[in-house]
Amino acid sequence: MFRVLLYSQWKWTRLIVALGSVAAFALPIVSVQGAARADSNPLQAGELLQAVQSWGTLYPVLAAALGLLVAIATWAPDHRGRHVHALSLPLPRWRYVSLRFGAGAALLAAPIVAVSAGALLATWSATIPAGLQGYPGALAIRFALAVLVAYAVFFAVSAGTARTAGIILGLIGGVILVQIIAGVANIDLDLFGRLQVVVLNWPGPLAIFTGRWMLIDV
Amino acid sequence: MTNAIEIRQLHYRAGRAFQLKQLDLNVPSGAIYGFLGPNGSGKTTTIRLVLGLLRPLAGRITVLGDAIPDAAPRVLARVGYVPEQPHLDPTLTVRETLRFQAAFYPNWDWACAERLLRQLELDEHTTFGRLSKGQKGKLMTLLALAQRPDLLVLDEPTDGLDPVVRRDVLSALLDYVSQRQATVFISSHLVHELERICDWIGVMDNGRLITEVPMARFKNGIKRLRVAGAPPSAAGAPFLILAREHANSGAETWVVRDWEPEMAAYFATIGAALNDVIDLDLEEGFVELLRTFRRPPSSS
Repeated sequence: MFRVLLYSQWKWTRLIVALGSVAAFALPIVSVQGAARADSNPLQAGELLQAVQSWGTLYPVLAAALGLLVAIATWAPDHRGRHVHALSLPLPRWRYVSLRFGAGAALLAAPIVAVSAGALLATWSATIPAGLQGYPGALAIRFALAVLVAYAVFFAVSAGTARTAGIILGLIGGVILVQIIAGVANIDLDLFGRLQVVVLNWPGPLAIFTGRWMLIDV
Repeated sequence: MTNAIEIRQLHYRAGRAFQLKQLDLNVPSGAIYGFLGPNGSGKTTTIRLVLGLLRPLAGRITVLGDAIPDAAPRVLARVGYVPEQPHLDPTLTVRETLRFQAAFYPNWDWACAERLLRQLELDEHTTFGRLSKGQKGKLMTLLALAQRPDLLVLDEPTDGLDPVVRRDVLSALLDYVSQRQATVFISSHLVHELERICDWIGVMDNGRLITEVPMARFKNGIKRLRVAGAPPSAAGAPFLILAREHANSGAETWVVRDWEPEMAAYFATIGAALNDVIDLDLEEGFVELLRTFRRPPSSS
Protein backbone atom coordinates (compact mmCIF):
# COMPACT_ATOMS: atom_id res chain seq x y z
CA MET A 1 0.00 0.00 0.00
CA PHE A 2 2.76 2.39 1.01
CA ARG A 3 4.63 1.77 -2.23
CA VAL A 4 1.66 2.60 -4.48
CA LEU A 5 0.82 5.71 -2.46
CA LEU A 6 4.47 6.78 -2.57
CA TYR A 7 4.49 6.32 -6.34
CA SER A 8 1.24 8.27 -6.74
CA GLN A 9 2.61 11.11 -4.61
CA TRP A 10 5.92 11.08 -6.46
CA LYS A 11 3.98 11.87 -9.63
CA TRP A 12 2.36 14.88 -7.96
CA THR A 13 5.44 16.23 -6.15
CA ARG A 14 8.41 15.32 -8.35
CA LEU A 15 8.89 18.84 -9.73
CA ILE A 16 8.67 20.40 -6.25
CA VAL A 17 11.04 17.80 -4.81
CA ALA A 18 13.52 18.12 -7.70
CA LEU A 19 13.63 21.94 -7.61
CA GLY A 20 13.70 21.93 -3.80
CA SER A 21 16.60 19.48 -3.78
CA VAL A 22 18.60 21.60 -6.23
CA ALA A 23 17.98 24.70 -4.11
CA ALA A 24 18.80 22.80 -0.91
CA PHE A 25 22.06 21.53 -2.38
CA ALA A 26 23.06 24.92 -3.77
CA LEU A 27 22.25 27.03 -0.72
CA PRO A 28 25.15 25.93 1.59
CA ILE A 29 27.59 26.11 -1.31
CA VAL A 30 26.51 29.60 -2.34
CA SER A 31 26.59 30.78 1.28
CA VAL A 32 30.37 30.15 1.55
CA GLN A 33 31.17 31.07 -2.04
CA GLY A 34 33.68 33.80 -1.10
CA ALA A 35 35.48 31.55 1.35
CA ALA A 36 35.70 28.71 -1.13
CA ARG A 37 37.57 30.61 -3.80
CA ALA A 38 41.20 29.44 -3.76
CA ASP A 39 42.43 32.23 -6.03
CA SER A 40 41.48 35.06 -3.68
CA ASN A 41 42.16 35.86 -0.07
CA PRO A 42 39.90 34.08 2.37
CA LEU A 43 37.20 36.30 3.78
CA GLN A 44 37.83 37.59 7.19
CA ALA A 45 35.99 35.69 9.90
CA GLY A 46 33.48 38.51 10.48
CA GLU A 47 32.66 38.88 6.82
CA LEU A 48 32.26 35.13 6.40
CA LEU A 49 29.94 34.89 9.40
CA GLN A 50 27.89 37.78 8.05
CA ALA A 51 27.59 36.11 4.62
CA VAL A 52 26.69 32.73 6.12
CA GLN A 53 24.13 34.35 8.40
CA SER A 54 22.46 36.35 5.66
CA TRP A 55 22.19 33.28 3.41
CA GLY A 56 21.07 31.34 6.47
CA THR A 57 17.72 33.14 6.52
CA LEU A 58 16.81 31.20 3.37
CA TYR A 59 16.97 27.76 5.06
CA PRO A 60 13.77 28.18 7.11
CA VAL A 61 12.06 29.81 4.13
CA LEU A 62 13.01 26.87 1.91
CA ALA A 63 11.98 24.39 4.60
CA ALA A 64 8.59 26.07 5.06
CA ALA A 65 8.02 26.31 1.30
CA LEU A 66 8.89 22.64 0.77
CA GLY A 67 6.67 21.57 3.68
CA LEU A 68 3.78 23.65 2.36
CA LEU A 69 4.01 22.59 -1.27
CA VAL A 70 4.54 18.89 -0.58
CA ALA A 71 1.66 18.90 1.95
CA ILE A 72 -0.68 20.50 -0.58
CA ALA A 73 0.44 18.11 -3.32
CA THR A 74 0.02 15.15 -0.96
CA TRP A 75 -3.70 15.82 -0.58
CA ALA A 76 -4.26 17.12 -4.10
CA PRO A 77 -5.44 13.84 -5.70
CA ASP A 78 -7.88 13.22 -2.83
CA HIS A 79 -9.21 16.78 -2.82
CA ARG A 80 -9.80 16.58 -6.55
CA GLY A 81 -11.88 13.47 -6.03
CA ARG A 82 -13.63 14.95 -2.97
CA HIS A 83 -12.10 12.05 -1.01
CA VAL A 84 -14.68 9.60 -2.38
CA HIS A 85 -12.09 7.14 -3.69
CA ALA A 86 -9.91 7.42 -0.59
CA LEU A 87 -12.86 6.86 1.75
CA SER A 88 -14.08 3.87 -0.22
CA LEU A 89 -10.76 2.05 0.15
CA PRO A 90 -10.90 -0.85 2.64
CA LEU A 91 -8.68 0.49 5.39
CA PRO A 92 -9.23 2.60 8.49
CA ARG A 93 -9.02 6.34 7.92
CA TRP A 94 -6.18 6.80 10.41
CA ARG A 95 -4.12 4.27 8.51
CA TYR A 96 -4.75 5.92 5.18
CA VAL A 97 -3.75 9.31 6.63
CA SER A 98 -0.61 7.74 8.15
CA LEU A 99 0.34 6.22 4.80
CA ARG A 100 -0.20 9.53 3.00
CA PHE A 101 1.81 11.38 5.64
CA GLY A 102 4.60 8.81 5.51
CA ALA A 103 4.80 8.93 1.71
CA GLY A 104 5.09 12.74 1.72
CA ALA A 105 7.70 12.64 4.47
CA ALA A 106 9.69 10.02 2.55
CA LEU A 107 9.74 12.27 -0.52
CA LEU A 108 11.06 15.14 1.60
CA ALA A 109 14.14 13.03 2.34
CA ALA A 110 15.55 14.13 -1.03
CA PRO A 111 15.97 17.86 -0.19
CA ILE A 112 17.17 16.94 3.30
CA VAL A 113 19.88 14.71 1.83
CA ALA A 114 20.65 17.50 -0.67
CA VAL A 115 21.20 20.02 2.16
CA SER A 116 23.45 17.52 3.95
CA ALA A 117 25.48 16.88 0.80
CA GLY A 118 25.67 20.59 -0.06
CA ALA A 119 26.70 21.50 3.48
CA LEU A 120 29.40 18.81 3.60
CA LEU A 121 30.75 19.87 0.21
CA ALA A 122 30.67 23.55 1.19
CA THR A 123 32.57 23.07 4.47
CA TRP A 124 35.04 20.72 2.82
CA SER A 125 35.83 23.06 -0.06
CA ALA A 126 35.81 26.36 1.86
CA THR A 127 38.83 27.87 3.50
CA ILE A 128 37.52 28.45 6.99
CA PRO A 129 39.36 31.11 9.04
CA ALA A 130 40.94 30.07 12.31
CA GLY A 131 38.56 30.17 15.24
CA LEU A 132 35.54 29.21 13.12
CA GLN A 133 34.10 25.77 12.53
CA GLY A 134 31.73 24.10 10.07
CA TYR A 135 28.47 22.52 11.34
CA PRO A 136 27.09 20.64 8.31
CA GLY A 137 25.53 17.86 10.38
CA ALA A 138 23.75 20.22 12.79
CA LEU A 139 22.49 22.36 9.92
CA ALA A 140 21.17 19.33 8.05
CA ILE A 141 19.39 17.99 11.16
CA ARG A 142 17.86 21.39 11.83
CA PHE A 143 16.74 21.70 8.22
CA ALA A 144 15.24 18.21 8.40
CA LEU A 145 13.29 19.08 11.55
CA ALA A 146 12.07 22.35 10.08
CA VAL A 147 10.92 20.68 6.86
CA LEU A 148 9.08 17.97 8.80
CA VAL A 149 7.45 20.47 11.20
CA ALA A 150 6.28 22.63 8.27
CA TYR A 151 5.09 19.55 6.41
CA ALA A 152 3.20 18.23 9.46
CA VAL A 153 1.48 21.58 10.10
CA PHE A 154 0.44 22.12 6.49
CA PHE A 155 -0.47 18.45 6.07
CA ALA A 156 -2.91 18.79 8.97
CA VAL A 157 -4.35 22.05 7.65
CA SER A 158 -4.69 20.93 4.04
CA ALA A 159 -6.23 17.60 5.08
CA GLY A 160 -9.35 19.46 6.04
CA THR A 161 -12.17 20.78 3.97
CA ALA A 162 -12.73 24.36 2.82
CA ARG A 163 -14.74 24.71 6.04
CA THR A 164 -11.70 23.80 8.14
CA ALA A 165 -9.58 26.30 6.23
CA GLY A 166 -12.35 28.86 6.82
CA ILE A 167 -12.32 28.18 10.57
CA ILE A 168 -8.53 28.60 10.72
CA LEU A 169 -8.64 31.81 8.69
CA GLY A 170 -11.54 33.01 10.86
CA LEU A 171 -9.51 32.42 14.01
CA ILE A 172 -6.55 34.36 12.59
CA GLY A 173 -8.91 37.13 11.48
CA GLY A 174 -10.48 37.13 14.94
CA VAL A 175 -7.10 37.60 16.63
CA ILE A 176 -6.27 40.50 14.27
CA LEU A 177 -9.68 42.08 14.89
CA VAL A 178 -9.36 41.81 18.67
CA GLN A 179 -5.87 43.34 18.48
CA ILE A 180 -7.15 46.25 16.36
CA ILE A 181 -10.08 46.87 18.68
CA ALA A 182 -7.79 46.72 21.70
CA GLY A 183 -5.50 49.25 20.02
CA VAL A 184 -8.35 51.63 19.25
CA ALA A 185 -9.79 51.27 22.76
CA ASN A 186 -6.37 51.87 24.27
CA ILE A 187 -6.42 48.54 26.10
CA ASP A 188 -3.07 47.07 27.05
CA LEU A 189 -3.33 43.83 25.09
CA ASP A 190 -0.53 42.40 22.96
CA LEU A 191 -1.94 39.25 21.38
CA PHE A 192 0.68 39.09 18.65
CA GLY A 193 3.50 39.34 21.16
CA ARG A 194 1.97 36.59 23.26
CA LEU A 195 1.37 34.42 20.20
CA GLN A 196 4.93 34.96 19.12
CA VAL A 197 6.18 33.85 22.53
CA VAL A 198 3.95 30.77 22.53
CA VAL A 199 4.57 29.73 18.94
CA LEU A 200 8.07 30.88 18.05
CA ASN A 201 9.98 30.68 21.33
CA TRP A 202 11.23 27.37 22.65
CA PRO A 203 9.40 25.02 23.27
CA GLY A 204 6.87 26.50 20.82
CA PRO A 205 5.99 24.33 17.81
CA LEU A 206 7.67 26.69 15.32
CA ALA A 207 10.76 27.53 17.40
CA ILE A 208 12.86 25.51 14.98
CA PHE A 209 12.41 28.21 12.34
CA THR A 210 13.80 31.03 14.46
CA GLY A 211 17.36 31.89 15.51
CA ARG A 212 20.51 31.80 13.41
CA TRP A 213 21.00 29.13 10.77
CA MET A 214 24.79 28.95 10.59
CA LEU A 215 26.72 26.51 8.45
CA ILE A 216 29.94 28.05 9.80
CA ASP A 217 30.10 29.53 13.28
CA VAL A 218 32.41 30.04 16.17
CA MET B 1 -33.73 -14.86 2.67
CA THR B 2 -30.92 -12.76 4.17
CA ASN B 3 -30.29 -9.20 3.16
CA ALA B 4 -27.00 -7.95 1.75
CA ILE B 5 -27.98 -4.41 2.77
CA GLU B 6 -30.35 -3.51 5.59
CA ILE B 7 -31.19 0.03 6.58
CA ARG B 8 -33.38 0.76 9.59
CA GLN B 9 -34.80 4.13 10.64
CA LEU B 10 -31.95 6.00 9.01
CA HIS B 11 -31.79 9.73 9.52
CA TYR B 12 -29.30 11.97 7.75
CA ARG B 13 -29.30 15.69 7.10
CA ALA B 14 -27.25 17.59 4.54
CA GLY B 15 -27.67 21.30 5.20
CA ARG B 16 -31.15 22.72 5.65
CA ALA B 17 -32.58 21.74 2.32
CA PHE B 18 -32.19 17.98 2.24
CA GLN B 19 -32.64 15.11 4.63
CA LEU B 20 -33.24 11.39 4.69
CA LYS B 21 -35.75 10.62 7.38
CA GLN B 22 -36.74 7.23 8.79
CA LEU B 23 -35.41 5.37 5.79
CA ASP B 24 -35.91 1.59 5.78
CA LEU B 25 -34.43 -0.39 2.91
CA ASN B 26 -33.67 -4.07 2.27
CA VAL B 27 -31.55 -5.46 -0.54
CA PRO B 28 -31.91 -9.26 -0.61
CA SER B 29 -28.71 -11.27 -1.04
CA GLY B 30 -28.18 -12.31 -4.65
CA ALA B 31 -30.66 -9.77 -5.98
CA ILE B 32 -30.09 -7.11 -8.60
CA TYR B 33 -31.75 -4.21 -6.84
CA GLY B 34 -32.57 -1.16 -8.95
CA PHE B 35 -32.56 2.05 -6.97
CA LEU B 36 -34.68 4.51 -8.90
CA GLY B 37 -35.37 8.13 -8.34
CA PRO B 38 -35.16 11.55 -9.94
CA ASN B 39 -32.02 13.66 -9.62
CA GLY B 40 -31.60 14.99 -6.09
CA SER B 41 -33.90 12.39 -4.56
CA GLY B 42 -31.21 11.02 -2.23
CA LYS B 43 -29.88 8.01 -4.11
CA THR B 44 -26.21 8.99 -4.00
CA THR B 45 -26.47 10.10 -0.37
CA THR B 46 -28.01 6.75 0.57
CA ILE B 47 -25.23 4.92 -1.29
CA ARG B 48 -22.56 6.95 0.48
CA LEU B 49 -24.18 6.16 3.82
CA VAL B 50 -24.27 2.47 2.92
CA LEU B 51 -20.53 2.55 2.21
CA GLY B 52 -19.70 4.49 5.38
CA LEU B 53 -18.54 7.55 3.45
CA LEU B 54 -21.08 9.62 5.36
CA ARG B 55 -22.17 9.22 8.94
CA PRO B 56 -25.88 9.07 9.77
CA LEU B 57 -27.47 11.11 12.55
CA ALA B 58 -29.52 8.10 13.61
CA GLY B 59 -30.47 4.62 12.49
CA ARG B 60 -28.71 1.36 11.68
CA ILE B 61 -27.02 0.19 8.50
CA THR B 62 -25.88 -3.40 8.02
CA VAL B 63 -23.95 -4.44 4.92
CA LEU B 64 -22.98 -8.08 4.32
CA GLY B 65 -23.77 -8.78 7.97
CA ASP B 66 -21.54 -6.06 9.43
CA ALA B 67 -22.51 -2.71 10.90
CA ILE B 68 -21.63 0.44 8.98
CA PRO B 69 -19.69 2.65 9.57
CA ASP B 70 -18.01 0.73 12.44
CA ALA B 71 -16.90 -2.20 10.30
CA ALA B 72 -16.47 -0.19 7.10
CA PRO B 73 -12.92 -1.34 6.24
CA ARG B 74 -13.89 -5.03 6.50
CA VAL B 75 -17.07 -4.49 4.51
CA LEU B 76 -15.43 -2.34 1.84
CA ALA B 77 -12.94 -5.14 1.11
CA ARG B 78 -15.95 -7.15 -0.13
CA VAL B 79 -17.71 -4.33 -1.98
CA GLY B 80 -17.07 -3.12 -5.52
CA TYR B 81 -18.11 0.50 -5.83
CA VAL B 82 -18.58 2.48 -9.02
CA PRO B 83 -19.22 6.11 -8.05
CA GLU B 84 -21.33 8.56 -9.98
CA GLN B 85 -18.28 10.68 -10.82
CA PRO B 86 -15.12 8.65 -11.37
CA HIS B 87 -12.47 10.38 -9.25
CA LEU B 88 -9.21 8.53 -9.56
CA ASP B 89 -5.71 9.98 -9.67
CA PRO B 90 -5.56 11.61 -13.13
CA THR B 91 -1.76 11.28 -13.31
CA LEU B 92 -1.74 7.48 -13.10
CA THR B 93 -1.97 5.36 -16.24
CA VAL B 94 -4.56 2.62 -16.51
CA ARG B 95 -1.93 0.02 -15.61
CA GLU B 96 -0.72 2.07 -12.62
CA THR B 97 -4.32 2.53 -11.48
CA LEU B 98 -4.79 -1.24 -11.51
CA ARG B 99 -1.61 -1.68 -9.44
CA PHE B 100 -2.79 1.02 -7.02
CA GLN B 101 -6.16 -0.65 -6.54
CA ALA B 102 -4.71 -4.16 -6.31
CA ALA B 103 -2.57 -3.12 -3.34
CA PHE B 104 -5.67 -2.41 -1.23
CA TYR B 105 -7.95 -5.35 -2.05
CA PRO B 106 -7.13 -8.81 -0.64
CA ASN B 107 -9.24 -10.65 -3.24
CA TRP B 108 -7.90 -8.77 -6.24
CA ASP B 109 -7.94 -11.03 -9.30
CA TRP B 110 -5.22 -10.10 -11.81
CA ALA B 111 -6.42 -12.67 -14.35
CA CYS B 112 -9.88 -11.12 -14.30
CA ALA B 113 -8.39 -7.61 -14.54
CA GLU B 114 -6.27 -8.57 -17.58
CA ARG B 115 -9.23 -10.25 -19.28
CA LEU B 116 -11.48 -7.23 -18.72
CA LEU B 117 -8.72 -4.90 -19.88
CA ARG B 118 -8.72 -6.67 -23.24
CA GLN B 119 -12.48 -7.17 -23.35
CA LEU B 120 -13.22 -3.50 -22.66
CA GLU B 121 -10.42 -2.38 -25.01
CA LEU B 122 -8.67 -0.05 -22.56
CA ASP B 123 -5.19 1.26 -23.38
CA GLU B 124 -3.07 0.55 -20.32
CA HIS B 125 -0.60 3.36 -21.12
CA THR B 126 -3.14 6.18 -21.14
CA THR B 127 -3.41 8.26 -17.98
CA PHE B 128 -6.77 8.35 -16.23
CA GLY B 129 -7.05 12.09 -16.85
CA ARG B 130 -6.85 11.55 -20.60
CA LEU B 131 -9.50 8.82 -20.78
CA SER B 132 -12.87 9.65 -22.32
CA LYS B 133 -15.99 9.48 -20.16
CA GLY B 134 -16.86 6.08 -21.61
CA GLN B 135 -13.36 4.73 -21.00
CA LYS B 136 -13.46 6.00 -17.42
CA GLY B 137 -16.77 4.21 -16.94
CA LYS B 138 -15.26 1.01 -18.30
CA LEU B 139 -12.20 1.31 -16.06
CA MET B 140 -14.33 1.92 -12.95
CA THR B 141 -16.35 -1.19 -13.80
CA LEU B 142 -13.14 -3.18 -14.33
CA LEU B 143 -11.77 -2.06 -10.96
CA ALA B 144 -15.00 -2.97 -9.17
CA LEU B 145 -15.17 -6.44 -10.76
CA ALA B 146 -11.48 -7.36 -10.37
CA GLN B 147 -11.88 -6.99 -6.60
CA ARG B 148 -14.13 -10.10 -6.72
CA PRO B 149 -16.75 -8.41 -4.54
CA ASP B 150 -19.75 -10.06 -2.93
CA LEU B 151 -21.70 -6.82 -3.34
CA LEU B 152 -21.55 -4.35 -6.22
CA VAL B 153 -22.71 -0.83 -5.47
CA LEU B 154 -23.15 1.09 -8.69
CA ASP B 155 -24.12 4.75 -8.64
CA GLU B 156 -25.37 5.73 -12.10
CA PRO B 157 -22.67 3.53 -13.70
CA THR B 158 -23.81 4.13 -17.27
CA ASP B 159 -24.95 7.74 -16.99
CA GLY B 160 -23.70 9.74 -19.96
CA LEU B 161 -22.20 6.72 -21.72
CA ASP B 162 -22.97 5.96 -25.35
CA PRO B 163 -25.11 2.88 -26.08
CA VAL B 164 -22.15 0.73 -27.14
CA VAL B 165 -20.14 1.43 -23.98
CA ARG B 166 -23.28 1.06 -21.89
CA ARG B 167 -23.88 -2.37 -23.37
CA ASP B 168 -20.24 -3.40 -22.75
CA VAL B 169 -20.37 -2.25 -19.13
CA LEU B 170 -23.71 -3.92 -18.38
CA SER B 171 -22.63 -7.10 -20.11
CA ALA B 172 -19.43 -7.29 -18.00
CA LEU B 173 -21.49 -6.70 -14.85
CA LEU B 174 -24.10 -9.32 -15.69
CA ASP B 175 -21.43 -11.90 -16.60
CA TYR B 176 -19.82 -11.37 -13.21
CA VAL B 177 -23.11 -11.57 -11.32
CA SER B 178 -24.13 -14.76 -13.06
CA GLN B 179 -20.77 -16.38 -12.19
CA ARG B 180 -20.51 -15.24 -8.58
CA GLN B 181 -24.15 -14.84 -7.50
CA ALA B 182 -23.13 -11.44 -6.19
CA THR B 183 -25.65 -8.86 -5.03
CA VAL B 184 -25.99 -5.70 -7.08
CA PHE B 185 -27.30 -2.40 -5.77
CA ILE B 186 -27.58 -0.17 -8.80
CA SER B 187 -28.89 3.37 -8.83
CA SER B 188 -30.06 5.03 -11.99
CA HIS B 189 -32.65 7.31 -13.46
CA LEU B 190 -32.44 5.38 -16.74
CA VAL B 191 -35.56 3.37 -16.06
CA HIS B 192 -35.46 1.21 -19.20
CA GLU B 193 -31.97 0.03 -18.32
CA LEU B 194 -33.04 -1.17 -14.88
CA GLU B 195 -36.19 -2.76 -16.26
CA ARG B 196 -34.09 -5.23 -18.25
CA ILE B 197 -31.73 -6.35 -15.51
CA CYS B 198 -33.26 -5.86 -12.05
CA ASP B 199 -35.33 -8.28 -10.01
CA TRP B 200 -36.05 -5.83 -7.18
CA ILE B 201 -36.86 -2.17 -7.33
CA GLY B 202 -36.80 0.66 -4.81
CA VAL B 203 -38.07 4.12 -5.65
CA MET B 204 -36.76 7.16 -3.86
CA ASP B 205 -38.05 10.70 -3.93
CA ASN B 206 -37.25 13.71 -1.80
CA GLY B 207 -35.26 11.70 0.72
CA ARG B 208 -37.94 9.04 1.21
CA LEU B 209 -38.35 5.51 -0.09
CA ILE B 210 -41.73 5.44 -1.80
CA THR B 211 -41.83 1.77 -2.60
CA GLU B 212 -39.68 -1.36 -2.48
CA VAL B 213 -41.03 -4.44 -4.29
CA PRO B 214 -39.95 -7.26 -6.59
CA MET B 215 -39.72 -5.97 -10.15
CA ALA B 216 -42.36 -8.41 -11.42
CA ARG B 217 -44.86 -7.21 -8.86
CA PHE B 218 -44.13 -3.58 -9.60
CA LYS B 219 -44.55 -4.03 -13.34
CA ASN B 220 -47.57 -6.31 -13.21
CA GLY B 221 -49.28 -4.45 -10.43
CA ILE B 222 -49.44 -1.02 -12.06
CA LYS B 223 -52.15 -0.71 -14.71
CA ARG B 224 -54.04 1.96 -16.59
CA LEU B 225 -57.78 1.25 -16.52
CA ARG B 226 -60.47 2.70 -18.75
CA VAL B 227 -63.59 3.03 -16.62
CA ALA B 228 -67.08 4.30 -17.43
CA GLY B 229 -69.81 5.45 -15.05
CA ALA B 230 -67.74 5.47 -11.91
CA PRO B 231 -69.11 7.43 -8.91
CA PRO B 232 -66.97 10.33 -7.59
CA SER B 233 -65.91 8.31 -4.57
CA ALA B 234 -64.29 4.93 -5.12
CA ALA B 235 -64.36 3.79 -1.54
CA GLY B 236 -63.42 0.21 -0.73
CA ALA B 237 -61.31 -0.34 -3.84
CA PRO B 238 -59.10 -3.44 -3.42
CA PHE B 239 -56.27 -1.67 -5.28
CA LEU B 240 -54.51 1.66 -4.75
CA ILE B 241 -55.64 4.43 -7.09
CA LEU B 242 -52.60 6.44 -8.09
CA ALA B 243 -54.33 8.77 -10.55
CA ARG B 244 -57.86 9.36 -11.79
CA GLU B 245 -58.41 11.52 -14.86
CA HIS B 246 -61.67 12.40 -16.54
CA ALA B 247 -62.02 11.80 -20.26
CA ASN B 248 -65.05 12.42 -22.56
CA SER B 249 -68.66 11.50 -21.80
CA GLY B 250 -68.22 10.16 -18.29
CA ALA B 251 -65.27 7.94 -19.17
CA GLU B 252 -62.25 8.01 -16.92
CA THR B 253 -58.69 6.79 -16.92
CA TRP B 254 -57.42 5.33 -13.66
CA VAL B 255 -53.84 4.46 -12.88
CA VAL B 256 -53.82 1.83 -10.15
CA ARG B 257 -51.29 -0.14 -8.15
CA ASP B 258 -51.45 -3.69 -6.70
CA TRP B 259 -53.82 -4.77 -9.47
CA GLU B 260 -54.98 -8.39 -9.81
CA PRO B 261 -57.27 -9.58 -12.66
CA GLU B 262 -60.00 -10.76 -10.26
CA MET B 263 -60.37 -7.20 -8.99
CA ALA B 264 -62.32 -6.38 -12.16
CA ALA B 265 -65.43 -7.54 -10.27
CA TYR B 266 -65.14 -4.52 -8.00
CA PHE B 267 -66.43 -2.17 -10.72
CA ALA B 268 -69.78 -3.96 -10.91
CA THR B 269 -70.23 -3.36 -7.17
CA ILE B 270 -69.95 0.42 -7.62
CA GLY B 271 -72.11 0.54 -10.73
CA ALA B 272 -69.24 1.22 -13.13
CA ALA B 273 -67.91 -0.58 -16.18
CA LEU B 274 -64.30 -1.57 -16.73
CA ASN B 275 -63.65 -1.21 -20.47
CA ASP B 276 -59.95 -1.85 -20.74
CA VAL B 277 -56.87 -2.83 -18.71
CA ILE B 278 -53.61 -1.50 -20.14
CA ASP B 279 -50.13 -2.61 -19.07
CA LEU B 280 -47.69 0.14 -18.14
CA ASP B 281 -43.97 -0.21 -18.59
CA LEU B 282 -41.63 0.54 -15.70
CA GLU B 283 -41.05 4.14 -16.75
CA GLU B 284 -44.76 4.94 -16.92
CA GLY B 285 -45.32 3.20 -13.62
CA PHE B 286 -42.42 5.10 -12.09
CA VAL B 287 -43.73 8.44 -13.34
CA GLU B 288 -47.25 7.74 -12.08
CA LEU B 289 -45.88 6.68 -8.72
CA LEU B 290 -43.90 9.89 -8.38
CA ARG B 291 -46.89 11.99 -9.45
CA THR B 292 -49.02 10.40 -6.76
CA PHE B 293 -46.34 10.77 -4.13
CA ARG B 294 -45.82 14.43 -4.91
CA ARG B 295 -49.52 15.36 -5.12
CA PRO B 296 -50.70 17.45 -2.15
CA PRO B 297 -52.88 15.38 0.22
CA SER B 298 -55.94 17.57 -0.33
CA SER B 299 -56.17 16.73 -4.04
CA SER B 300 -55.87 12.95 -3.66
